[in-house]
Amino acid sequence: MMQGIGAGLAICVGVALLARKFSFPAIPCYILAGLIAGRSGLSIVLPDPGTELLTRLGLLFLLFSMGLALTPARIRSSGSVFAGSGAIDLAVNLPLGIGASLLLGFGFAEALLLGSALYITSSAMALASLIENRRLALRESETVVWLMIFEDLVLVVIIAILATSGGGAAITLALMAGVIAAFFIACHILKKPLQRLLSRDDDLPLVFTFAVVPVAAVIADILAIPETLTAIGAGAALAMTQPRDLERLAKPFRDVFIVVFFFFFGAGIELAAGLPLAAVAILAAVAVGSKLISGLLIGTAIHRSPSAGLEIWSHTTARGEFSIALAAISGSAMVSGTVAPVVIVTAFAGAVLGKNAAAIRRRFAARNVP
Amino acid sequence: MQFRSVDLPSIGTKYELETETRDTLAIIYQQSGAIQVYITPAEGGEGCSASLKDVEARRLGNILTGAIMEAEPEGIEIAFSALEDLRISVHTYIVGNSAVGCCIGDLQIRKKTGATVVAVSRKGRNTINPGPGFVFEEGDALVVIGEAEQLKEFEQVVLGR
Repeated sequence: MMQGIGAGLAICVGVALLARKFSFPAIPCYILAGLIAGRSGLSIVLPDPGTELLTRLGLLFLLFSMGLALTPARIRSSGSVFAGSGAIDLAVNLPLGIGASLLLGFGFAEALLLGSALYITSSAMALASLIENRRLALRESETVVWLMIFEDLVLVVIIAILATSGGGAAITLALMAGVIAAFFIACHILKKPLQRLLSRDDDLPLVFTFAVVPVAAVIADILAIPETLTAIGAGAALAMTQPRDLERLAKPFRDVFIVVFFFFFGAGIELAAGLPLAAVAILAAVAVGSKLISGLLIGTAIHRSPSAGLEIWSHTTARGEFSIALAAISGSAMVSGTVAPVVIVTAFAGAVLGKNAAAIRRRFAARNVP
Repeated sequence: MQFRSVDLPSIGTKYELETETRDTLAIIYQQSGAIQVYITPAEGGEGCSASLKDVEARRLGNILTGAIMEAEPEGIEIAFSALEDLRISVHTYIVGNSAVGCCIGDLQIRKKTGATVVAVSRKGRNTINPGPGFVFEEGDALVVIGEAEQLKEFEQVVLGR
């Protein structure tokens, strides 16, 4: 049972070292390494029950951490930029993604899933791009950060919609709303004791943080609602107590499990189940192009400059963890086999764009000067 | 002077300062503890940036506030009215490469120079009267006491100037 985890993580350490050396994002490299070592490649490292557990925890910790950032106070403070840029981003990218998927012959349910996966930018790679390429002084970087939060909120809605696609939609929806509300009420009532617990200087805060995620999954299991949603809900509700401490405590778990998640997502994929290469290339081109359109529109609407839009585009092109998460939640081999190569292509494209953001803007400005 | 601070979720906090000359300074305190500083001139010319560790940021802050830990170390001379021929100097130094990792005893500071390290400030924590086993780290700010001659000796022997 340990073979898969050991071999996979050992490969990932090597891959991450290489990626850092060339300052490339690590996420697509993990997936690529998984593809090469796994079912579609050499078949030397394959998913087993041990890796499946860690993979599941990786996904849940990713979403739990995302939930921690979704504090209502933060969102209120962001104002109109948040809603405006988020709405443009959603209105451009989701329909284009769904449309392209439909044209390539996917059924509606799969097209919705694929469109959502194409819509959602990798927050991890967008933020890393802003930090590593030293773009944080720009106002555009603030827009990008808020855009990521908006997309996270949309992801919650998408997960809820996916869960209700079966029968008994109204009951499932009510249950999900009820559970999230219960989390918030519980955290509101227990705010003081929770804060005391998280401020202790022994090992209890760490144990507590870890325990939250499996417990949220158990609650989901009992009520037959998605554990991904209860993980986000638990994060968002707990963010009312000590969000900074929780983010710090959850980080090591997330960082380790998520690597296992990416690698074995790649390892479990059968590329043959996805689209032919030409179709994948079309989808990747749509993914890069649609973010260019939305970026230009957001730049013009919020920053009164298309050049600002190029900046936003440069950092939001990479698709990553959330696209993979959606593919994993769907469990569809066809969607996973399609999303994985699109993520790899857009992530590499995004890395190149992010590094050259300043040069792209200069060239654009030079062309527009008569 | 215009000042503005924004919360950047998952990144940290950004502080933005516009100077009278309309240059812009942005400082980002990352959650990871690293700090980025950006300077954008009012017009023309590319902006520039720097990435700082917390020790470096503190030193920069001290330089800007003009506090005791200046990069150009400062000193004072104390003279007592009752003891006319006793003149003691107190001087601050920042530990450089040559003394990093050495302890006070190994360097034989008092024996070789006659000066005494009376306090060390490290990352905002002060150690008063450090013992012979105290090991210097990069960026430690030292308060050294002695006669002017002894302090010169200290600079040469310990700091290698």
